[in-house]
Amino acid sequence: MQPFALNYARPAAELKATIPYAYDSGLQLNVLRDGRIAARDHALLRELGTTTSTAGSKTHFDD
Amino acid sequence: MTVLILTCEEDVTADMVVVHLDALGVPVVRLDPADLTGGAALSGEYVHGTFRGHLSAGGRLVSLSGLRSVWVRRPGTPAARAAEPSAWLTEESAQALYGMLRGCDAHWMNHPDAAHRARHKPWQLRLAQHCGLPVPATLITTFPQAAREFAERFPDLVVKPVSGAHPQDPPRAVPTSRVAPDTDFSAVAFGPTLLQRLVAKRADIRLTVAGERMLAARKATPADGDPDDVDVRFAPAATPWRPTDVPPRVATSVRAYLREAGLAYGAFDFAEDGDGIWWFLECNQSGQFGFVEVETGQPIARSVAEWLARPGPERRSRVNGRNTTVP
Repeated sequence: MQPFALNYARPAAELKATIPYAYDSGLQLNVLRDGRIAARDHALLRELGTTTSTAGSKTHFDD
Repeated sequence: MTVLILTCEEDVTADMVVVHLDALGVPVVRLDPADLTGGAALSGEYVHGTFRGHLSAGGRLVSLSGLRSVWVRRPGTPAARAAEPSAWLTEESAQALYGMLRGCDAHWMNHPDAAHRARHKPWQLRLAQHCGLPVPATLITTFPQAAREFAERFPDLVVKPVSGAHPQDPPRAVPTSRVAPDTDFSAVAFGPTLLQRLVAKRADIRLTVAGERMLAARKATPADGDPDDVDVRFAPAATPWRPTDVPPRVATSVRAYLREAGLAYGAFDFAEDGDGIWWFLECNQSGQFGFVEVETGQPIARSVAEWLARPGPERRSRVNGRNTTVP
């Protein structure tokens, strides 16, 4: 009784990397441990994959 | 006037826009509806024919009449982190927050009503056709026989979720996948199934539109790539995203699409075939853009920020005459 499309499902990939930044409510930005703003470090974002089209949460599906 | 951003704390893509808004000197209030009624709060008063509304989050207070724009990015489920969450409290909180916001004059990226409609992929396909964008032959059906006949007409097919959602119990991903010619379509009866003619693509295109600004990126399909890797989101990243120009006819059609959809932002996915034709696959009304910007250097976040920072709307009435809120 499984819908056809689910024959093509695969386990969801989890982000393997530990996220090295945390939200700073004062700045309203995520900040690295050394105080730098995470969004300015494009190399890091690319490495982490937290801005990719499959990085959406379970509640959003606008890839 | 303030830009209200509805998103979760871990949304580092939103951060990319906040950085630009800060540089522009535009006040920002970032609120996650999931934080109602803990870290976020709201109040609205309808008295003597007027409305006064306020939101607070992270120690900031803003009048709804002081909002120039609202960016709906990745908001959490309202009141999901309340001390005693419930479906009832979520509905109450959603009605209160989005109901009051709907009554303010701010510009939306994107308005919730337009966003809700725009998420429907079958509707997207029809609108794309209306706007002159090439759409691959597509069938959405629960009739196994219709699927079999479609597969005879278009032997090289892919299947993808109608909604774009991924099942969560247990968590799984459903990539766009090739369907073998001898496939048994009986299970089509157990759920709406979207089958689409496979576009023999030489590249994937992600066209991000923020207001009037169009920024397209192209990812070439590797000549030696696995022919079953049809979903660029799940394929090995063998080639980089690179900026590309938007063909004028596509640009005209995309503008028509967004106008008809009532969207200020859209992330379009196309498959470019061997003749250079961009085949419309979908338009994500809140599609990710960070991965494109970090790879191409295209100023997408800045474009979003500049749209959000546009002058606010004409006020219907003066609501907050005291200097007690974020301007």
